[in-house]
Amino acid sequence: MYKFAQFALVRATMAVFTMIVVSFIVFSLMELVPGDCAERYLAFKNTQGSAISIADIENERVRLGLDRPYMVRWGDWIVNAFRGEFGDSCILRVDISQLLGQKFWLSLGITLSALVLSYSIAIPVGIISATSNNPYLNNSLRLVSYLGLALPNFLLALMIMLFSTMVFGDTLTGLFSNEFRDAPWSFARAMDFLSRAWLPVVILGWSATAFAIQTVRALMSDEIGKLYVTAARARGVSGGRLLMRYPAKHALTPIINSLGFDLNRIFNELPIVALILTLTEAGSLLIEALARSNDQQLAGAIIFMLTASIVTINFLTDIALALTDPRIRRSIIG
Amino acid sequence: MAEVKNIYKVQDQKLKEAYFTAGQGQLIWARFKKQKSAMAGAFVLILLIMSGIFAPFITPYEPTIAGRNETYLNGAPQIPKFCDENGCSLRPFIYSFERTRSLATNFRWETEINRDKRRYVQFFVQGSEYKYFNFNVNLPGKALDFRVPGLTFNIHLFGVNEGQIHIFGTDATGKDIFSRTLFAINTSLAVGTIGVLIAFVLALAIGGMSGYYGGWIDSFLQMLTDAVRTIPAIPLFMAIAAFIPDTWSAELRFFFISIMLGFIGWPTLARRVRTHLLTERNQEYVLAAQLCGASAGHVIRKHLLPSFTSYIIVDLIITFPYMVLSETALSFIGLGLKDPVNSLGVMLQSVTNADVMLNYQWYFIPVIVFIILVLAFVFVGDGLRDAADPYGDASK
Repeated sequence: MYKFAQFALVRATMAVFTMIVVSFIVFSLMELVPGDCAERYLAFKNTQGSAISIADIENERVRLGLDRPYMVRWGDWIVNAFRGEFGDSCILRVDISQLLGQKFWLSLGITLSALVLSYSIAIPVGIISATSNNPYLNNSLRLVSYLGLALPNFLLALMIMLFSTMVFGDTLTGLFSNEFRDAPWSFARAMDFLSRAWLPVVILGWSATAFAIQTVRALMSDEIGKLYVTAARARGVSGGRLLMRYPAKHALTPIINSLGFDLNRIFNELPIVALILTLTEAGSLLIEALARSNDQQLAGAIIFMLTASIVTINFLTDIALALTDPRIRRSIIG
Repeated sequence: MAEVKNIYKVQDQKLKEAYFTAGQGQLIWARFKKQKSAMAGAFVLILLIMSGIFAPFITPYEPTIAGRNETYLNGAPQIPKFCDENGCSLRPFIYSFERTRSLATNFRWETEINRDKRRYVQFFVQGSEYKYFNFNVNLPGKALDFRVPGLTFNIHLFGVNEGQIHIFGTDATGKDIFSRTLFAINTSLAVGTIGVLIAFVLALAIGGMSGYYGGWIDSFLQMLTDAVRTIPAIPLFMAIAAFIPDTWSAELRFFFISIMLGFIGWPTLARRVRTHLLTERNQEYVLAAQLCGASAGHVIRKHLLPSFTSYIIVDLIITFPYMVLSETALSFIGLGLKDPVNSLGVMLQSVTNADVMLNYQWYFIPVIVFIILVLAFVFVGDGLRDAADPYGDASK
């Protein structure tokens, strides 16, 4: 138990360290954007008809605390970020945590569902492809998983939209239909959400599945030639029982370990798919923040939250692995 | 009988000798040749790269606004034919056409093909000028400027005797999609090359230090690598790309995007370099070199790196499609390259339009070229990875 606590502590420290490095990168990027919040705010006021002087900008800087040194502001930002407060958006003038709130959790939910979907397909298919000797099956699976890379999600989304416009006359875009967009959560709204959310989940899951099949297949075919499998077979264990009890158990451990990075890969695609399917509730807010309005506060907050959820998942999977496998506890502490 | 056996033995011996004395490159090539899919991928890839490099010669028109055809906006592809109901001709031909647009056609251009008037395809025709080996470098300070005039040509592979030919059709401004596609391959490959090279240098430096020294340097660098790896790359790209001022020229934008791709793409490569180095650095030949007083840099460069050059090349080829994909995704959402530069992403951008999807399906031709390009890279990369694996033969 002591060993385990030590492991968890080391892991937690590493996660926090990663978040600090990430926050530094994100914050520096935010700072690099030409112009700061004060200028942008006053530029907005200028369009409303009030005259702006240099002194006004300076006053606004002092009010927003932008006159303090770089490191102090970074420290301030990161402390607030860990508390879940990101201040006000530069352009929209709304509290960011309020602006993101539900949208972020919806995006995370979609991404996680895509991850679950991809592995629930990839694990059985990968195991079958590693164990079967059928060249046609293997080659066609290989082609599909290559296509997963070559036909990126945004192209797939486009194709599906093209198809659905031509066949159904409906573009299948958005996460809610119009009558439910601003309604409070209810059973009907949840059903409406589910009837539309499957499309982004499937599209995001597409390349993730292709990738996961390759991983499962590679891990499985490494494991299946090992002596303990032969030994088990010699003892008379066979078929699915043999696969599940012996090689699959070992082959699948590294996958749990890489779940965080898989989630990262899916998150990657989310903003672009969201843009095509016009999911205003999800990642397209990020594109909006960056491309249209140059809203650095909002963009920084989104990237920070994305990374935080990935780091959290990495941490959780490590802990879960360590609970089940004592070798991992030892390997980290050294 | 015994003689025949002997001959076989000698031949066998020779084969074995050839096998054991062959260089790493020859071994990889021998194994690579056996894989049909990888060979097919390599063939397609070389074809695409060559058509990218010789794009100015192969394409009939300039891909920019200068080469546009005002009389054929949003025009359908014109496929050259040899035969029709008016008889056959050895020289392929296309038809001339009349275009009208009115309220009746919903203000969309309607093309009426005149089947009686042929336009014959000609080869090696004179057209717009293009240059090879032409460099113009303008650095601050007069002394640093240099110009190489290069070679100027004006011969194009094909054209027609009157009007213009667009085998992939034209876009909304009348630019030839075939020309744009080939130039786009060029751009995408260039972005990929610059990105991969920068990622490679960073990966070698960081992964090399991390793997060679080990200990706390390794732990620190690994944490740094992991931190960079955890940030989702495309949102990060987007954040950086959004900082590019609108005033930048297309070329500057192009270089910035490629450099950026390199700066974000290094962690995976760095991890691989580190793993290779960690396994190699405890070998005796490294110890021997160290005892002779070789410096760390010397040992890494002269002894360690050559031991896994082939792996690094394979890794580079595997990374390549990811770079091309990232660039495409970026340009697609409008944060990457912009119009005067032709990249595959820029061309994909115009496909999102509903009007295009329903009426001008030939806009999708670059999409197919893009998929083929990435698939070819993946097949070659996969084949090379199998071929470079020294344990691959042990099981056979």
